[in-house]
Amino acid sequence: MIKFENVHKHFGDFHVLNNINLEINKGEVVVIIGPSGSGKSTLLRCMNQLETISEGRLEVNGVVLSDKKVNINEFRKNVGMVFQHFNLYPNKTVLENIMLAPVKVLKKSKEEAKKTALYYLEKVGILEKADAYPSQLSGGQQQRVAIARGLAMNPQIMLFDEPTSALDPEMIGEVLDVMKALALEGMTMVVVTHEMGFAREVADRIIFIDKGQILEDADPTEFYNQPKDERARLFLSRILNH
Amino acid sequence: MLDFTILSENFDMFLEGFLNTLYVSFLALIGSFVLGTILAIFRIAPIKPLNWIGTIYVEFIRNIPLLIILFFIFTGLPVFEIRLSGFVAGTLALMIYTAAFIAEAIRAGILSVPKGQMEAARSSGLTYTQAMWHVILPQAIKIVIPPLGNQFINLVKNSSILTIVAAGELMYQGDLISSRTFVTFDVYIFVAVFYLIITLPLSLGVNRLEKRLAQSN
Ligand SMILES: Nc1ncnc2c1ncn2[C@@H]1O[C@H](COP(=O)(O)OP(=O)(O)OP(=O)(O)O)[C@@H](O)[C@H]1O
Ligand SMILES: [Mg+2]
Repeated sequence: MIKFENVHKHFGDFHVLNNINLEINKGEVVVIIGPSGSGKSTLLRCMNQLETISEGRLEVNGVVLSDKKVNINEFRKNVGMVFQHFNLYPNKTVLENIMLAPVKVLKKSKEEAKKTALYYLEKVGILEKADAYPSQLSGGQQQRVAIARGLAMNPQIMLFDEPTSALDPEMIGEVLDVMKALALEGMTMVVVTHEMGFAREVADRIIFIDKGQILEDADPTEFYNQPKDERARLFLSRILNH
Repeated sequence: MLDFTILSENFDMFLEGFLNTLYVSFLALIGSFVLGTILAIFRIAPIKPLNWIGTIYVEFIRNIPLLIILFFIFTGLPVFEIRLSGFVAGTLALMIYTAAFIAEAIRAGILSVPKGQMEAARSSGLTYTQAMWHVILPQAIKIVIPPLGNQFINLVKNSSILTIVAAGELMYQGDLISSRTFVTFDVYIFVAVFYLIITLPLSLGVNRLEKRLAQSN
């Protein structure tokens, strides 16, 4: 479903992704961890072309993104993204936030889009906030709206970039629960997170990345018990003991 | 004391000037808003040649006096067999000049919208133009309204230099009346009052709109 082959990415002189080879299959839940600045977000953002790769081959959902002639808007219909800071549209209500892309991109009718939006709002457990503005919601509620907004496009893949790290501790659970439910339904998910409980419980694989290189690609239990890489071991002991 | 007979005896001319100033301002306002928005998007769009065009326009136009732009259009264009009336040349000059300032105000407004908004919109499949129109511009407009209002007020006041091409606007009528009656002070007081009739409501309107928008957040 997602396939990186010898992918490199530079920001000017900075080599942010270094020879990435990674394959993610349909229905897999993959968690990406690594130190700050290691390139986790960049790796994730390449998967929906918020960043373009400098070298190598990248295929996502049957589309070769490294080709020059991809229809990027068509491609993005099938890939949802959830951001650390939610990025809801502050001037639109919850419902309008969720309906915008289905109406403008999928050309759904307003009624149809509204029905879908309400369905997903119910699913993430905040149906009663449909007419509220983002500023009237808690962080956890905002992030659940953001997830509903992604799901309303009925995507094949969902990308999450540290979805809980801007949240107060007591709100992390409600967002992770929504993500767990999604994983159980078989959604293909790539999640940058340091929530180790989530990773252990839900992830099929854990990718450890440092200085733009994948140093470990392992089964979660295997990874927690015995990381092969020295830096991974160090990193793990640090986040587990904080 | 102020000589009100100057006003009553020349009321037709004052009124004609007032209406012409309104007309010039209105046309230039619409024109400069449209042109300014296009230029702002040129400067921001992820297309290099458009960035250059936008930058060159803004930096050239806002750094030369309006009077010179007006001279160029009124006396320079006839060299290329393009002859415009003072009214048309003046409106064009005002529009071209004000657009540069409006472009900067709108650009600043767009840039003040957090980057994540564009990213969220684009990653949901919206095109750049759709994201601009449905997500970015509605948020930018709130920030842009006060500086935009000031530009429109400047535009009305700047229209007074159109008198040198005999555009028939307020300042020009004032000059005519003054040279005919040999009264200066009183005439220009009345001229000033007519300008205030346009600019004061604009100014108050902008203030009020600004407050309303601030509350809606
Ligand atoms: N647009 C950019 N231009 C230049 N450098 C960038 C850009 N985006 C990211 N970088 C740099 O690339 C490196 C990797 O960034 P990235 O955001 O992928 O890291 P990360 O692993 O997600 O870190 P964090 O845990 O802090 O979110 C960082 O050193 C960052 O400063
Ligand atoms: Mg990051």
